Amino acid sequence: MTPRACWDWACERTGLDRVWDALMARHIPEARGPVAWFYALGSATLFVFTLQAVTGALLAMNYVPSPDHAYDSVRFIGSQVLFGRFIRGLHHWGASAMVILVALHMLRVYFMAAYKYPREATWIVGVTLFTLVMGFSFTGYLLPWDQKAYWATMVGTSIAGQTPVIGPYMSKVLLGGAEMGAATMTRFYALHVLVLPMVTAAALGAHLFLVVWHGISEPPRRKEQGS
Amino acid sequence: MTENGSPEEGLSRRGFLTWAIAGLGAFIAAALGATGTGYFISPAFGKREEDWVDLGLAKGFKQNEPLKVDFVERKRDAWATVERRSSAWVVTPNGREFVAFNPRCTHLGCPYRWSSEKKEFLCPCHTAVFDIDGRVVSGPPPRPLDRFPTKVVGGRLLIQPAASKEAA
Amino acid sequence: MTDWHAAYRERYKKLKEAGKPFFPYAVLKDTLVAALILCVLSYLAWHFGAGLEELADPTDTTYNPRPEWYFLFLFQALKFFPGTLEAVAATLLPGLGMLILILLPFIDRGPARHPLDRPFWTILGVATLAGIGWLTWAGYRSPLTNPVVEKDPVTLQGQRLYRDLNCSYCHILGGKGGQLGPNLDKVLGNHDDAWLTKHFRDPQALSPGTGMPKLDLLDDEIHALVAYLDSLGSGPYSAEAPKLFAENCAACHTIHGKGGDTGPDLSLIGSARDKAFMRNYIADPSKMNQASSMPGFSGQLTDHQIEDLARYLSSLR
Repeated sequence: MTPRACWDWACERTGLDRVWDALMARHIPEARGPVAWFYALGSATLFVFTLQAVTGALLAMNYVPSPDHAYDSVRFIGSQVLFGRFIRGLHHWGASAMVILVALHMLRVYFMAAYKYPREATWIVGVTLFTLVMGFSFTGYLLPWDQKAYWATMVGTSIAGQTPVIGPYMSKVLLGGAEMGAATMTRFYALHVLVLPMVTAAALGAHLFLVVWHGISEPPRRKEQGS
Repeated sequence: MTENGSPEEGLSRRGFLTWAIAGLGAFIAAALGATGTGYFISPAFGKREEDWVDLGLAKGFKQNEPLKVDFVERKRDAWATVERRSSAWVVTPNGREFVAFNPRCTHLGCPYRWSSEKKEFLCPCHTAVFDIDGRVVSGPPPRPLDRFPTKVVGGRLLIQPAASKEAA
Repeated sequence: MTDWHAAYRERYKKLKEAGKPFFPYAVLKDTLVAALILCVLSYLAWHFGAGLEELADPTDTTYNPRPEWYFLFLFQALKFFPGTLEAVAATLLPGLGMLILILLPFIDRGPARHPLDRPFWTILGVATLAGIGWLTWAGYRSPLTNPVVEKDPVTLQGQRLYRDLNCSYCHILGGKGGQLGPNLDKVLGNHDDAWLTKHFRDPQALSPGTGMPKLDLLDDEIHALVAYLDSLGSGPYSAEAPKLFAENCAACHTIHGKGGDTGPDLSLIGSARDKAFMRNYIADPSKMNQASSMPGFSGQLTDHQIEDLARYLSSLR
């Protein structure tokens, strides 16, 4: 079968051509000059998210979320596993890249006022995604169980614990008990690799659907012309 | 819809861009795929660590009198160190060469014992009988007793319990 | 207010039709950016790795916790709120920020989109960015809360070796470990450096029949291990040490109810600081803690006497 025939076969059975038309063949307003590159920030964030998912899944293969073994298993990844140091490095730097790209993407939308009618819902889902990224970074930071991880999480949770009225309860919920330890690690791990990815995937789906459905916002022009 | 110019020109430009995307995509996939796949399949090429366990002075074993030696096997299991209580039947015909048998019957893994009256290894589960060299005398076992590699270093008997070998 | 909605839709529809298809024009840019990001991240990952500090130590009182760089501005901002207000600000500030972000499309509702047509929002955005940038920079420059304790690199190497060689399989140290060998918490300090060095080189030479394996260590590894064990154990101190304390320190410090109260009570200091810390502190406190009013003793006491004092103090626990 020629590639053409394969494509036709698949289209007839899955409607792939219509998906292609809706996602890829759709037209977008023209953006001239360097402004056009700002529109790549969203997809760049999506790319790094995928990168984090792939490297994260690989890391999870050799990681134990327990104070007894976490540190040793992370050391094991770095010293014994082929490309382990590289994959962990990608995940580590990818986390920072994620925060930078989400921030830049938000700034693009903010300064272009792309959150305005009819894209308000897209913006709200986007802000939700931003908080989810922060959640990823906070929960992921603890997992290597080294000094930096331990003390940064200690500071973070004790700040939450100082909230008036609900603070003490909040800190216990975060820590999974009165003190930071085994229950904290499993809790953060479950959030980091199960809960947050699932919620993020759902929110990401909604965000992308809205982007395609409304069409990407046009580069803003000076003053209102016509109409 | 195409750039200014004739439709053919636009089409060839489109084709070029498509190839550029495919090329870049292939680059990304290759970089991630190579390292990621390497990471994933690397256990296939890992070497088994040689863990030798010290069973004590070689002189301590009497000739032609099998002795069950208990030992603690310490193994590096990825990032963890695990301890396993284990044992071996040690036989020496001359005090220089040693044979260490896996203490499990090759039939269904029951622990067997040495009968000093009959000079045979007897398995209680299905009445299997092995001679002093581990050969099957009678009963259902499919093969002779499994052996651990042995060596004598500095007058001490060492065995390698992780590498239980099927006797030829 | 909403009469411009229909007009916008109409205009957007025309712009969209006049535009180019998403594939391949925008997709090429997206792919290029993705490839570039992967290159940058790969370089960082390959060159710097991810870093791993020492194992988490909840008893460490000298560690300087520092948030990840993108939370730094928030921590710096909290410093402007005194006392209990800080706690309120810690949740209120980010909460308020998120609320404004979520409500943004409902506050800024006009048809204007160009940054120059919305001066208020543009200035607000630039000001917020500048503020976050400045706070991050200030947070980065701000002094550490704890005095920086320079851990001796040789001692650190020894600590790592202790881990890597899995010494805790047989030995108890700091209350953790196996019971096949001597409990190091108890016997540490019974032997001097020369003994330990010989012992690591060949355990059988000094204690025939010992179960301790010969580890085939390099000389500098042995040196590091000895330094590590030295830093932990108080080591035996001479009868002179308590006298030295009475003469030089008791004017300001108290041990078990005896002494002055200008400086901290040292009755339990051994459980909070290790010997190396105390040796350095006695020699020159200003290096470890600029706020300290304690004089340095490096000129008055010999190194041997300072070591003796440090051993004595670390035995107080």
